[in-house]
Amino acid sequence: MSTYLTVDRQDGLLQIKLQDDWVFPNVQRLQQTLDEIMPASEQRVSFQCGGLRDLDLAGAWVLYERSMDFEELGIKTDFEGFRSSHLKFLQHIIDLAARKEYVPGFFDPQPSHFLRDGIGKIGANTIEAVDSVGYIARAVLDGIKRPSRLMIGEAIRQVHSCGVAAIPIVTVICFLMGVVLAYQSARQLEQFGANIFMVDLVANAIFRELGVLLAAIMVAGRSGSAFAAALGTMKLTEEVDALRVMGLNPNQVLIIPRIIGLMIALPLLTVFADAAGLLGGAFIGATVLDISGFAFSERLAVAINVNDLLVGLSKAPVFAFLIAVTGTLRGMQVKGSAEELGRLTTIAVVQSIFLIIVADAIFTVIYSRIGF
Amino acid sequence: MAGEYEHIISIRGLVNRFGNQVVHDQLNLDVRRDEILGVVGGSGTGKSVLLRSILGLHGPNAGRIEVLGQAIRYLEPGPHRQWGVLFQGGALLSGLTVQENVELPIALHSDLPVETRRELAVLKIFMVGLDLAAAAKYPNELSGGMRKRASLARALALEPRILFLDEPTAGLDPISATEFDELVSYLHANLDLTIVMITHDVDTLFSVCDRVAVLVNKGIIVDTLDKLVKHPDPWIQQYFGDPRAVRARQAARHMRPESAQPIETGD
Repeated sequence: MSTYLTVDRQDGLLQIKLQDDWVFPNVQRLQQTLDEIMPASEQRVSFQCGGLRDLDLAGAWVLYERSMDFEELGIKTDFEGFRSSHLKFLQHIIDLAARKEYVPGFFDPQPSHFLRDGIGKIGANTIEAVDSVGYIARAVLDGIKRPSRLMIGEAIRQVHSCGVAAIPIVTVICFLMGVVLAYQSARQLEQFGANIFMVDLVANAIFRELGVLLAAIMVAGRSGSAFAAALGTMKLTEEVDALRVMGLNPNQVLIIPRIIGLMIALPLLTVFADAAGLLGGAFIGATVLDISGFAFSERLAVAINVNDLLVGLSKAPVFAFLIAVTGTLRGMQVKGSAEELGRLTTIAVVQSIFLIIVADAIFTVIYSRIGF
Repeated sequence: MAGEYEHIISIRGLVNRFGNQVVHDQLNLDVRRDEILGVVGGSGTGKSVLLRSILGLHGPNAGRIEVLGQAIRYLEPGPHRQWGVLFQGGALLSGLTVQENVELPIALHSDLPVETRRELAVLKIFMVGLDLAAAAKYPNELSGGMRKRASLARALALEPRILFLDEPTAGLDPISATEFDELVSYLHANLDLTIVMITHDVDTLFSVCDRVAVLVNKGIIVDTLDKLVKHPDPWIQQYFGDPRAVRARQAARHMRPESAQPIETGD
């Protein structure tokens, strides 16, 4: 019949002789073969286990499940010829079966509560936001109240890792942005034969908006995620708790130095970004648009004043604060699992870029109102 | 299958170096079928490196390792279905519940229907002494002992022939540690299991292990405990001469006859 069993029917007794390996890799086939056997009129089923070559827990479980099916049909089942260890298995299973209950595992369809979950989420986020504001205020206050000596060194280290290390990538990106702006504005200005005003456009855009914005977005991606991941890992490995029991306030040693470090680093990075952007514009002017370096700098002196530079630079510390706070805060919210760490790191980056753009919009409106 | 290899695990001429530091030098080891082998050694003698070499997680500088007759190569698939590993910290996936953790290997290595898979996992969870309340929890919601049990359930999910335990009782309180030892003995008695365990717990060594492998002088000395105790090597002398070891040995001498009896087959 089958490789796993042979069936023998005689006057009211269904004998199932088991053979071969009743082990985990065969479970599905074992179940199928057993399911195919239906007692016709027999009142008793006997499993003959003497010929089994190998039996493990999974195999025994299949056997037991089927025997329970028979019992439900009112047919008596018994097992014969078990090796002692096999019998032990089966008894174990019988003990366990009494306790069986439903536990959700993989691929369990969950009922959807779209509206309820949505409202719940809004509420949870609101509470979280209020909680965050309090937390930040507390952290900053801690830092100001009792500045620790550890803070200064750590802050300088952060200036290096968030600022100095980011100079190459930020300058390259802003240089390319200058190139793009010069090209695009020249295409429009050509129609009026006013190519030289390309300098005005590039310089204003870079100084007032794009220099600082690109630097901030780059830093949010680099350092915001690094903050969240570093603090989150420290939270998971109980390092944060270790600091606390040593009498160090994690707000002081972990959060404040990062905030300070980034608030120093980002304005400095912005200077590099601005310079690189202008260079990009000048490069295109000299090579493509027939505006010599001398003409470019001459026009530059007319086109912008120091206010334009300050508009950009004044935004940098605010952006830096937003990035650092979001990153560290999300990091500190990690608890439990590595997946949580990934989720919060993502949130940290997305949220800080979102906040940067919102803040930039607010700045632009305010500055244009007051004519800065 | 059974005829192809003599020993469950066989290691020949294993060499592991880190820079100038030689950890294993021409190490040979055979693990017999159905035994519980304890591995001990001072810190830095390469217990974990040995285990990682066997599991293919570490590439040794030289030597040949065979598990169930299959040669182990660094970071290449080994006999995954036939070995289970209990890592020191449990190494349960933190984003999954205990139930899902135990289901994972079954889901990966078979195409069983969801229902069957779930029930097999529940079986393993019960077997290690956890209940359904624990099965629904995430690893970080469990105590250290429960986490080890859950991890053991995952290691047993595929009905392995070999079980590797890395410091199974480290970080457990004495009661939980003893319970865990009993669990290991119980599983060993009821499943066809070969167990290799790294341990520092002398109680575990004396109460559970059939043979003990001691890592000394970049090599390994394997013997039964009764003979090892008399071995002339200074480190072994110091290790088993330690008051804790002596006490554990005396305790085990009283305990052993009982637990060594063949387990009752029931009525």
